[in-house]
Amino acid sequence: MIYDVVIIGSGASGGAVAYTLCKAGYKVAVLEKGRLIKRDEFSKDELSYARRDLVTPNLFDEYHTIEEKVDGKWEVTPTYDSGMSFWNGNIVGGSSNLMSGMVHRLHPDDFRLKSKYGEIEGANVVDWPISYEDLEPYYDLTEELVGISGKFKTHKYEPPRSRKDFTQPPTQENVVVNLLDKSCSALGITPLVTPRAILSQDKGHRDACYYSNFCGSYGCSSGAKGSSREALLQPALATGNLTLLTNSHVKYLHTSTQDKIDYAIVVDTITQREKKIKAKLFVVAAQAHESARLLLNSASRYHPNGLANSSGELGKNLLFSGGGSGQGELHKKSLKNIHFNDLMTTGLFVNRSILDWYFIDHWWDGKFKGGSVEFMFEHQNIISRARKNNYHNGKLVWGKDLGDRLNKRFREQKSIRFEIFNDWLPNDNCFVSLDKTHKDKYGMPVGKLRLEGHPQDIKVGKYIAKKCEKILKEMGAKNIYSSISSAASQNLVAGGCRFGNDPKTSVLNKYCQAHDVPNLYVADASFMPTGGSVAYTWTIYANAFRVAEHIVQHLKKI
Amino acid sequence: MQTNTIMQRRKFLILSSLLGLSPYIQAKELNTFEKDFKEVEPTIAAVQAHLFPEGSKIPAAASMNVTQFLFETLIHKSYDKDIRAFVIEGAQELKSRDKGRFTTMSHEDKEIALRAYEETNYGSNWLARIMTLTMEGIFSDPIYGSNIKEAGWKALNAFGGHPRPKTRYIAL
Repeated sequence: MIYDVVIIGSGASGGAVAYTLCKAGYKVAVLEKGRLIKRDEFSKDELSYARRDLVTPNLFDEYHTIEEKVDGKWEVTPTYDSGMSFWNGNIVGGSSNLMSGMVHRLHPDDFRLKSKYGEIEGANVVDWPISYEDLEPYYDLTEELVGISGKFKTHKYEPPRSRKDFTQPPTQENVVVNLLDKSCSALGITPLVTPRAILSQDKGHRDACYYSNFCGSYGCSSGAKGSSREALLQPALATGNLTLLTNSHVKYLHTSTQDKIDYAIVVDTITQREKKIKAKLFVVAAQAHESARLLLNSASRYHPNGLANSSGELGKNLLFSGGGSGQGELHKKSLKNIHFNDLMTTGLFVNRSILDWYFIDHWWDGKFKGGSVEFMFEHQNIISRARKNNYHNGKLVWGKDLGDRLNKRFREQKSIRFEIFNDWLPNDNCFVSLDKTHKDKYGMPVGKLRLEGHPQDIKVGKYIAKKCEKILKEMGAKNIYSSISSAASQNLVAGGCRFGNDPKTSVLNKYCQAHDVPNLYVADASFMPTGGSVAYTWTIYANAFRVAEHIVQHLKKI
Repeated sequence: MQTNTIMQRRKFLILSSLLGLSPYIQAKELNTFEKDFKEVEPTIAAVQAHLFPEGSKIPAAASMNVTQFLFETLIHKSYDKDIRAFVIEGAQELKSRDKGRFTTMSHEDKEIALRAYEETNYGSNWLARIMTLTMEGIFSDPIYGSNIKEAGWKALNAFGGHPRPKTRYIAL
């Protein structure tokens, strides 16, 4: 059997490509190394989903090695030692099953950052080969197909949109938004309703959100969350054109000539048996750092430095998300404007974001690219909330004091939190390569991630954090703190296979097709030369739909 | 978002051990684990009872089956094998520090012994681990055998989300 297209990875981008091609009548195989967890199998089991590696590989079996600078020297640590996992949901639908669904479009200037701000020393900023206008129709398509709820409000940094408003109203909101909106207003800040990839109303085979209280990190039991599995793979399967192969890990892609992949070498993760899977076209969608690793592991005599790596750019300019987070406690005793019992209502969303600082142009602070902010409650996981901050003067609190402390924490306050997203500037010390000594359980070199952020990322994060702390203060929150760091966000990864018009400086062309190998596409966030200042999800979906349309045209010609 | 820099866990566990390189960290044998666990079980149970006593606003360890929970958690394949060994080793260390008398000490003496153990990096790390493992029992779904009749959740008026799990762990 030779498939029209083999897609490696079943997350957001793999799902979008599979959906488009299957609907167009092509025979597609999606290879997913994890298993299928169906909607009715998901539960809100904190131990399974939030505390153990049950939907990601055990780090002793599969891991990365991390290079970090310690006292001026690069030190390598395997992630089984650090416990710092760079896996994100290895099940059908990938990490889109487990997201919180707070999504934004990029701004038109994110596509031309270099033109707008010029060179930044120590950063490899380039303009994209496409513009916002090229991607807008696919942001719109994502809104409809994946299902994004929200309420549009004009804002100077809100990108233009072809559809007047969202197809679904926002999900229900906790009364805390009244306090948040009022506090922002007092400070001259404009809060916006967060677009969320969660249905507020039934849509086809998917039911509306039922406000389970445990959303991010968990699979959705109504199908409301816009996972690739619910929104795209299910309808793709219904066409009869999709073969979904689970527990299928791709070791490498085989080339027997200079310009063509013939087959993927796939290992069944249960039986350990290897087989060849053939296709006319191959689409890699394994999440940025793993996609680059797969291509590096696919080196052959025709591609000695890795598949599609004549530029030497493969794996380079890996991106994470700059920024950090902060939080404060709303206490029963000092709460103003809203009732404490309403605040304690579980399950409802905060749904607020701030774009006021997406670009900074201030007489004193200067002109630079800023970022976005999301507001949310602290995750309602019980064990992790009970476990945190249980030290007093450096000593663990236990006994009756612990009972009193937890009682107060859970019954007399609720923590409100903000997360800041700003550009992770691409730089020479952030990339994935192959580790020369460490191999995975299938005998393939693991990805070695060198992770260094650019100092500008910290500066921007701190600038925004100060402003967010003021909002929490205005809300009357206590014990406010924030933490901005250059640590890589394991769940927000992009770059590594830059797209561009010049084959000498980029891995992919503007359709995310490899310059060197015409039957290879990379559909996930790998293509991004700069990351923008919002979570990647919506852009990943949108770009994958765009790439898929091009693949349809490509297939028509062969 | 990750905020900590890398802490080399295995190195930490080994270097900070007062006993030197543990035979468990070298051997990692599950079958010897059960036997070794039985030997330190009373010590672990006594520590859990001290951290979670009767008369607190959260359920007492004694009524929540937490030691059995801890054992079943440690032997599950999802649990980090280094930490599994560390839990045993730390209990052996506590036993040997107090010449086997810890379980029979008065409440006051136990407090002194544990606070002294906490002064060492190793002891502090071990106590934090026992605290985590006990809380995982008291506040996880009752299907795991602790949090009996949701007493842990009721104490905090926090009930998690729905649907609840029908089996322990996800069928892999």
